[in-house]
Amino acid sequence: MLEARGLTAGYGGGRIIVDGVDIDARAGEVVTIIGQNGAGKSTLLKGIFNMVPVRRGSVSLDGAEVFDQRPDRLLAGGLAYIPQNHSIFPKLTVAENLRMGGFLLRDQRLLVERIGEVEAMFPILVERRDEYAAGLSGGEQRMLEIARTLLMAPKVIMLDEPSIGLAPRLVDQVFQTVRTLAEQGKAMLMVEQNVKKALAASDRGYVLELGQVKLHDRADRLLADDRTAQLYMGARPGGTAPSAEAPEGRP
Amino acid sequence: MAQALLEQIINGTMMGSIYMLVALGMVLIYGVMHVLNFAHGVLFMVGGYVCHFFFTQVLDSYLLAILGSMAVLSVIGLALERGVFRRLRDNLRMQVIASLGLILVIQNGVIAIWGPNALQMRITTTDIRVPIGELSFTLQHFLIIGTVGVTVTAIWLFLTRTRIGTALRATSQNAEAAQVVGIDANRMYVASFLIGCALAALGGALLGPLFLIFPTMGDLPLLKGLAAIIIGGMGSIPGAIIGGLGIGIVEAVSTLYIPTDFRDTVVFAALIAVLLLRPQGLFGVRVRGEA
Ligand SMILES: Nc1ncnc2c1ncn2[C@@H]1O[C@H](COP(=O)(O)OP(=O)(O)OP(=O)(O)O)[C@@H](O)[C@H]1O
Ligand SMILES: [Mg+2]
Repeated sequence: MLEARGLTAGYGGGRIIVDGVDIDARAGEVVTIIGQNGAGKSTLLKGIFNMVPVRRGSVSLDGAEVFDQRPDRLLAGGLAYIPQNHSIFPKLTVAENLRMGGFLLRDQRLLVERIGEVEAMFPILVERRDEYAAGLSGGEQRMLEIARTLLMAPKVIMLDEPSIGLAPRLVDQVFQTVRTLAEQGKAMLMVEQNVKKALAASDRGYVLELGQVKLHDRADRLLADDRTAQLYMGARPGGTAPSAEAPEGRP
Repeated sequence: MAQALLEQIINGTMMGSIYMLVALGMVLIYGVMHVLNFAHGVLFMVGGYVCHFFFTQVLDSYLLAILGSMAVLSVIGLALERGVFRRLRDNLRMQVIASLGLILVIQNGVIAIWGPNALQMRITTTDIRVPIGELSFTLQHFLIIGTVGVTVTAIWLFLTRTRIGTALRATSQNAEAAQVVGIDANRMYVASFLIGCALAALGGALLGPLFLIFPTMGDLPLLKGLAAIIIGGMGSIPGAIIGGLGIGIVEAVSTLYIPTDFRDTVVFAALIAVLLLRPQGLFGVRVRGEA
């Protein structure tokens, strides 16, 4: 479904951040990329989505080469991306944020229909429809981002650290949502620091180190693998990201 | 006293409307492109000249001359966005230098074409007087207030009710997020420059007949518009609208209490006071992008 071959990406200045990565995610699968801070995980996703200035390699979607397509074309073609930084529009209402998720949909009836569908999936968004998105809690903002992505009915969704900064209960909820979407036939490719929980929710995993794939295996094997454990479990007990300071709850 | 106050409030609302047009255009461009376009004042001025040209040489209709001026400035805006500012994206220092350079180029170009002396534009609305009690104003005063009221309302509806307008606001709030939902940044740049320059032209075309048309006529509107968007909170659209109107009224009313020469000082004293007491501006948020 999504396949990157020999993907190399950077920000210019001669430094290569992602170095010849082969990675793929198939329909119905959750695939997780783990690796230390600065390993190049985010740059890898950005590189796939054509949002970095320097890149080489190939990217295919459903067998078609899409390496040179602009992000809006990729989105229209069924590949969605949720960046690591919050990507909501803080001073648009929740409803407006959702509508922007369907910006590329010309068919307004279809957009309204799909908004109805995702609102049924995420009832909280209906409740707070007319509030500024900035007023949502961290977990609700993540849900809004995922919901917004679904409006384009993507075949592949890339998520960069969807659980960052969330309380444990909400982390489970996010991974549950990711699994559900995979069961609906989407390919889910996520980057995570929350190694244990993420791998537990995944089918396969990649370990990225200094911009290269160091390990690639079934998620359960990676979980059991000493090298993974050594590299990541010890360093991050519980797998909570370092910036997870604020637990759930509204200001 | 009440009469004098009313007079200054009406004068201030008129000038404030002009500042509002300048501020709204600048804040749209700033929000979407992160360009603080100091050349906005000379575009305002060119809008006055082009309106004068159309009115005296071509059309003999003030309304059509205004629309013609807005159209010409939209095209100029498009060319500036494509040719200058898009290339300097994310390079704040070069943008500032470029916009200061544009001021020189455009101002000298205008002097080369039309000469350094002020032009006069005689239209009926500046001759007709509207009496209010013992006071009387030109019809142009109310034409300005009304036109700006309608225009700003239309822009507001565009920004809040339409797909493209919402996308413009979205881009100014979070450019990366706009990209991942498929909004083409270049199209938004074009839209913001087009609207901003058309609004500047409208301002010059409305004010020109009331005062005169001269090469530095855009300087004060630029400074006041800039003050308005800083007071309103950089990037805030309601802030720019209310800031522009507020500055117009405050400076006009201030002339009742202090010498007219200090009018501009009052505006900048207010600006400094706001910056000291509420650095993010009246409607701004503390840090761009954070809510
Ligand atoms: N916009 C940028 N410009 C230049 N260098 C960048 C940029 N973004 C990231 N980098 C550099 O690229 C390297 C990899 O960053 P990246 O964000 O891909 O890592 P990551 O694995 O996602 O880390 P984290 O776990 O902290 O999110 C880092 O050294 C970083 O400094
Ligand atoms: Mg990252």
